[in-house]
Amino acid sequence: MLKDVDLCLEEGETLAIVGPSGSGKTTLLGLCAGLDDASAGSVELDGQAIELLDQDARAALRNRLVGFVFQSFQLIPTLTAIENVLVPLELRGESGQEAEAERLLTEVGLGDRLDHYPLQLSGGEQQRVALARAFIHRPKILFADEPTGNLDSGTSGPIVEMLFRLNREAGTALVLVTHDPALAEKARRVVTMSGGTIVSEEENAIV
Amino acid sequence: MPSSNKKPLPRSLWSALFHPWVWRMAWRDSRSQRLRLVIFSLAIVSGIAALTAIHSLKTSVERGIESEAKSLLGSDLRVSSRKEITLEEVDRLAEMASRVSREISFPSMMRFLPEEGARLMQVRGIEGGYPFYGKVETRPAEAWERLQKEGGVLVEPSILDQFSVAVGDRVEVGGIQLEILGVVDKPAPRGSRFSGFAPEAYVNLADIERSGLLGKNSMAGYQVHLEIPDAPGSRELKDKVREGFPDTRWRMETPENRRENLGKALDFFQKFLGLIALASLALGAIGVAGAVHAHVTRRIQTVGILRCLGCPGNLAFGIYFAQATALGLLGALIGAGLGIGMQTGLLTALGHKLPVSVSPTPEWLVVGQTTAMGFAVCCGFALLPLMKIREVSPAVTLRSGATLKGSFLRALPVYGLLLGLLVMVAYGNDPSWKDAFAMVGGIVVAFLVLVGVARGLMAMSRRVVSARWPYIIRQGVSNLHRPGNQTLLFLLSLGLGTFLLVTILSAGKLLNDRLSLQQSEESPNLYLIDVQPDQVAGVKALLAGEELPVLEATPMVTMRIQSIRGVEVGDLKDVPRWVGRREFRSTYRDQLNFTETLIAGELATERADIEDIVPLSLEEKIARDMKVSIGDEITMDVQGIPIRTKVTSIRRVDWSRFNLNFFMVFPPGVLEEAPGFNVVTTRTPTPEASGDLQRKLAGEFANVTAIDLTQILEMVGDILGKISTGVTILAGFTVLAGLPILIGTLLNGRDVRLKESVLLRTLGASAKQVRRILVIEYATLGFLTALTGVLLAVAANAALATSVFDASPWPDAMLLFTVFGAVMGISVLGGLALSRGVTSHPPLEILRGGS
Repeated sequence: MLKDVDLCLEEGETLAIVGPSGSGKTTLLGLCAGLDDASAGSVELDGQAIELLDQDARAALRNRLVGFVFQSFQLIPTLTAIENVLVPLELRGESGQEAEAERLLTEVGLGDRLDHYPLQLSGGEQQRVALARAFIHRPKILFADEPTGNLDSGTSGPIVEMLFRLNREAGTALVLVTHDPALAEKARRVVTMSGGTIVSEEENAIV
Repeated sequence: MPSSNKKPLPRSLWSALFHPWVWRMAWRDSRSQRLRLVIFSLAIVSGIAALTAIHSLKTSVERGIESEAKSLLGSDLRVSSRKEITLEEVDRLAEMASRVSREISFPSMMRFLPEEGARLMQVRGIEGGYPFYGKVETRPAEAWERLQKEGGVLVEPSILDQFSVAVGDRVEVGGIQLEILGVVDKPAPRGSRFSGFAPEAYVNLADIERSGLLGKNSMAGYQVHLEIPDAPGSRELKDKVREGFPDTRWRMETPENRRENLGKALDFFQKFLGLIALASLALGAIGVAGAVHAHVTRRIQTVGILRCLGCPGNLAFGIYFAQATALGLLGALIGAGLGIGMQTGLLTALGHKLPVSVSPTPEWLVVGQTTAMGFAVCCGFALLPLMKIREVSPAVTLRSGATLKGSFLRALPVYGLLLGLLVMVAYGNDPSWKDAFAMVGGIVVAFLVLVGVARGLMAMSRRVVSARWPYIIRQGVSNLHRPGNQTLLFLLSLGLGTFLLVTILSAGKLLNDRLSLQQSEESPNLYLIDVQPDQVAGVKALLAGEELPVLEATPMVTMRIQSIRGVEVGDLKDVPRWVGRREFRSTYRDQLNFTETLIAGELATERADIEDIVPLSLEEKIARDMKVSIGDEITMDVQGIPIRTKVTSIRRVDWSRFNLNFFMVFPPGVLEEAPGFNVVTTRTPTPEASGDLQRKLAGEFANVTAIDLTQILEMVGDILGKISTGVTILAGFTVLAGLPILIGTLLNGRDVRLKESVLLRTLGASAKQVRRILVIEYATLGFLTALTGVLLAVAANAALATSVFDASPWPDAMLLFTVFGAVMGISVLGGLALSRGVTSHPPLEILRGGS
């Protein structure tokens, strides 16, 4: 599905991947995050070749380095907002981090909805919980797959703002897959894909 | 970031299973599904309850037999012989024992003075302290001791009434008169062989020798009872005696033999019920596997998210395995509780009717074992869907519509483990590997048949649907093979349930039929023994006068086997020793009775001559034990006269009917002149009629003994009735086991069908159309499920009926139709229940994925 894709991302850098449906954006993101296996080629994350790692080692690598934000939020429906946020830390075996989770949720405007389940939250609120979860373990890189794809413009604005603010503050590299040109413009680099290859690469002048 | 306590989560499966985070996540994950999960856990309840109850019952009864086996025999070794055991031999036997006791018993006429009524009694003369274990109970209490010291006689209480005599009156035996010292309420243990038909009378051994009767009586039996502290094993003990007395033909019995004999009587029911329990357990476990599969399917996305966030496969697997084990444990504990209730309840109900006294207390060790076994089977079955969790890719977070994938090859060890577990449970039920494999094989075959039918149905529904069919039928039938279909799980759960239910109910009916056969008009309840040839007509006339039927009047002659195929019976290596020692009571006639079937050869109907080789008919089992078949020659010793016979036919006998049956049947013309007696059987409608007849018999034919089977038959009937109730309760349990499985299956299908139906509604389908589609799907499923389940049960019933109950292989058509209709009805109602949500849920809620 993908061919001749050659891409490199520096620490703290922001990259948007754009292109029509079926162009291979999500596939590329999945490969970069070690969620899928490539039939050929190599993906290095923080100097580690992912294809040489088994599934559990990849999971451990993600837990250490990677944060995710998905189009359909992907919160665990049976966990409350704060429990969802704490999962990446719990998976590291870290306990006693409730205050940090609460701080992050307050920062994304959900300080009063800590114990709500995903079904009790609106789409925008769910995505804000996902943002808090993505940053709780201070990842080196954040992958966001159409983070505003399921949100209206009124809701998506603050989410995008939060995404970039948290990214800036934490110095996290950001990979965004999006259809939204306005969102893509916020990234320093924009890669356009079509038919499984990168057809263009631009740099935005961002302050 | 503030400081934190960091203890890395384990990566290995074992450590993961014991990590608190895994259990915390398992608990959190169950939040929205707890009620549903608890319903699923009920699936395992009935299997474990049945398993626990049956094994506990077995252990309780065995424990009762164990504790009473010695008192049932009264000694550590009983040596019996038809020839006198000399005092020198007794002394030598006594060397190995701490106490020894001699007994001589024989049938003899006893006259009751002063009225002079007489009757045949089994006289038992006992010397020494026998019984060493247990106690003879008499009225007055000291009568037994007086008998040993002073001499006299003790009789059964009914004899006093029958002859209008009292304690202190006198009886005449042989040449002496003895005083009646009292009555015996609990007799001294008897030999396991039916040594006499007559009521017992106890006398002092010295009185027997004084009476002079012994010299004339060829029916005397000699026994030596030994008390041997720290006795070796049964076989060892017997071998030791045989070595010391190589020329004797003694019969020996130990408490172990007594235990085995009693155990065998209860063995069959325990095995049969154990089979049902095993099947019920397997059904429940399949139900749990189905439930876990449905649950995990709903959790694919969650597993994907966890994997995305860095959760190792073992940890994700651990979360759901923890849930499954918790479910299994809950079900197992409830099941064990119910099982204990069934066991103690049944023991309380059966109470004194069992051959030994058994206290209705739980058998905790057995409860622990069966619960653990059932729990392991449940967890083993849950592993099948759980293993697929490890295959869930984190990439499912990126795209919707992921399904659980698994490889059969990877699951192969789990299938092996499951088979192993089931075989072990089966072996626990019946300690024979062959039977254990056969049992599990039977269940696997039923399972495979249902899977085959399900696969066939799916393939057929894919092929037969034509575009010309009305849309509703097309859609309903196509649902049988489309993704998310219920066909396999539905057929398996409801089909196996139907199979088990019909099998259990049919077995219950076979039991009841057996019971009513024994109580039918054709089956006797009163035997008249020792009717001399010249008395037969008179006894028949007496019965006719009392308006009682003569069911049978059969001559009986005692004999022994001298040689088989020309070899002395004692020299035959592969024939059991008892064959040579046994005294056979045989008859002669030229036709089969209604409980006999010829299975080989032809019954001789012509008169035979004693000088020729006489055609002989043998009963199937005795022929097998004697290792003879058609054409083999057997020489019989008929009270000193050798008769050469040749086996010309083999009969199968239904021994459970209580009519007169024989191992050996001779043709007419051979045994008529041999010393023997006749047995006449009848059926008395009431105890009063039986009492009247017995009084008249004692007056007119004093030598004739009447044996009233009414009480025995009532007791057998009562026990069989209780077992039949137990079987019915078990059937009820199977239904209870089936219900959560069925509800689970329907609930699993509901998610898929609801979404589909709402989509159809959104596209303009009426509620009626949606309902019809579902009814067609579930009616088709119900029809095939009922048909397969019922056909499997018919096969099982035929096997049970012919191999175990000796009954007609055809089951009750009414039962089949009822179950068939019920299964169809349940299926259609289930389909309709699924459609209920379509009208009660707002379409948007379902389309958004809420629930």
